[in-house]
Amino acid sequence: MDITTQLLAGFATAATPINLMWAFVGCAVGTAIGVLPGLGPAVTVAMLLPITSQVEPTASMIFFAGIYYGAMYGGSTTSILLNTPGETATMVTAMEGFKMARSGRAGAALATSAIGSFVAGTIATVLVTLFAPWVANAAVQLGPPEYFCLMLLAFTTVSAVLGKSALRGVTALFIGLAIGLVGIDQITAAMRYTGGVPEFLDGIEVVLVAVGLFAVGEALYTALYEGKSTTSIQRSGRVHMTPQEWRRSWPAWLRGTAFGFPFGTIPAGGAEIPTFLSYATERKLSKHPEEFGTTGAIEGVAGPEAANNASVTAALVPMLTLGIPTTVTAAIMLSALQNYGIQAGPQLFTNSADLVWALIASLYIGNVMLLVLNLPLVGLWVKLLQIPRAPLYAGILIFATVGVYGMRQSAFDLFLMLGTGLLGLGLRRLDFPTAPVIVGMIMGPMAEAQMRNALSIGEGRWGVFLERPMSVALLLVVLAVLLLPPLWRQIARRA
Amino acid sequence: MQALTGLGVAGLGGLLAWGALDIPSDAGYAGVGPNFLPWLVAGGLLVCGALLTLQALRGGWAHVEAPSGAQHGDWSALAWVAAGIVVNASLITHLGFIPSCALCFVLAVRGLRLAEGKAAAGAAALTQAATDLLLGAAIAAPVFWVFTKLLNISLPGLTASGWL
Repeated sequence: MDITTQLLAGFATAATPINLMWAFVGCAVGTAIGVLPGLGPAVTVAMLLPITSQVEPTASMIFFAGIYYGAMYGGSTTSILLNTPGETATMVTAMEGFKMARSGRAGAALATSAIGSFVAGTIATVLVTLFAPWVANAAVQLGPPEYFCLMLLAFTTVSAVLGKSALRGVTALFIGLAIGLVGIDQITAAMRYTGGVPEFLDGIEVVLVAVGLFAVGEALYTALYEGKSTTSIQRSGRVHMTPQEWRRSWPAWLRGTAFGFPFGTIPAGGAEIPTFLSYATERKLSKHPEEFGTTGAIEGVAGPEAANNASVTAALVPMLTLGIPTTVTAAIMLSALQNYGIQAGPQLFTNSADLVWALIASLYIGNVMLLVLNLPLVGLWVKLLQIPRAPLYAGILIFATVGVYGMRQSAFDLFLMLGTGLLGLGLRRLDFPTAPVIVGMIMGPMAEAQMRNALSIGEGRWGVFLERPMSVALLLVVLAVLLLPPLWRQIARRA
Repeated sequence: MQALTGLGVAGLGGLLAWGALDIPSDAGYAGVGPNFLPWLVAGGLLVCGALLTLQALRGGWAHVEAPSGAQHGDWSALAWVAAGIVVNASLITHLGFIPSCALCFVLAVRGLRLAEGKAAAGAAALTQAATDLLLGAAIAAPVFWVFTKLLNISLPGLTASGWL
């Protein structure tokens, strides 16, 4: 079957009333939590993971994708009006967007970010449609050694390259790997680090760690340090753009998409690099450089927003075709699939073609829904920002309890949640990145299994990683990723 | 603080190494057994911990961004929020989801208000707590109903009716 037929079949599945309802609720919930400080898409999907025990896989993936997308739209609104970026990827939007809002152009900033997200999201979805089956086909030929090298690449980039400090990134990665070790070894069924506690036998739930690190950690951090911090909301005004603003926005959207998509597809993910690249480019190319950093330039919102959205959409390619998550939310969606016993990877496109194509079709639908939800209705979402902080964060704890307790009905997990919350508090205060913890914890066991399978193929010889061209190439990329940035910095310093 | 964190990370590595001693090493065809990754992680944490400590002693970690918020933490506020979670964890199976979460809400919201310097004192604190209890229940109850009735996820109730 060719792509068009499959995509049409996907639309047929995604457009059933019940699935449309899930997509809509997902988009609405996503936008709301994106607007609210303290919750991100990763935590929300994590807290709602218990629904995987009741809702069928296609519907829940459509729902989660809606949340994933919606949270980005909502997050931009908060960045622009409140200057509190929820994730690192929207930090750049906050830089110019908030300045535009302060000089009375919040409406234009919100419009260019919503329309830019729509344009980038749609283009990226088209690219995913064309690209993903091709990657899946190519990926069938990968064996355990190649998979292990790919995961090694993802580990390296997530921990050592993306953050401010490679050392703290790697430390966070090892902490995540350590959490992933707890439980019964998949291959030999040996017990590891269970300390005789029966709850530890099944390992530590991803939901628990994500909710603890992000939601509970955020609530604790707010209580401990942010009590006296104040923020001022800028008025949004009417959301529209003048013809001149349109002219300035659209090239930035396209360039942003071009930056975002490739970075999202390689298992080296993260939306931070493309958003910063796009910002730097727009600043350089702009005919109004004097607006950057002063009154706020519209290109500085349009480009990075598009880059963010394109890379987040593109992150679905490695997630679906290789089973390798490059963002925290993708990692949690992957564990949702695991709850169904569905293994993401090249076989997903043949074994669960319905699910994949319905999910991709729902992305097209979701983008349209989000544009409608965010352009005329933006005033509604902004009202959410008036909820006082104290009941908001205390309320988040109730939702955190549902997610963690609902997963396996254990009060012990709630104590563990507090523990990971304190860990999150410490990581945040000491400027450690948190994404490597989650990625390490989810991919650690996967990578370990691939490594041991690879070594079994090679009958215990480590040389097996060097005997296959693909895995050698990947190892070289890992080396390059590790060595080039510091070298480059040295050269730049000397020049 | 940074040096202590470094030592803490190294200590965690040491703890993992100590635990790795108990993990069997039967390798089979792979040549590495279930204790390989634990040793690797333990070693990694020890090295990272040592490097972090070294960096801290040599004038601080590289590229640290100043954390947001106040210089000094409001530890009593933190204690109230943490107490809310502990109370919830200890009582949820006895009291049921709604009452237990409402209690957690009361304690946590008090902590967060304390941090903002807006917590009521004396008799007003009691009225505040009563309002918060109702508010907490008003948030927890619909959540409980949606999850148990609509999504069929089992959460503990006080009664077997499924509504409370």
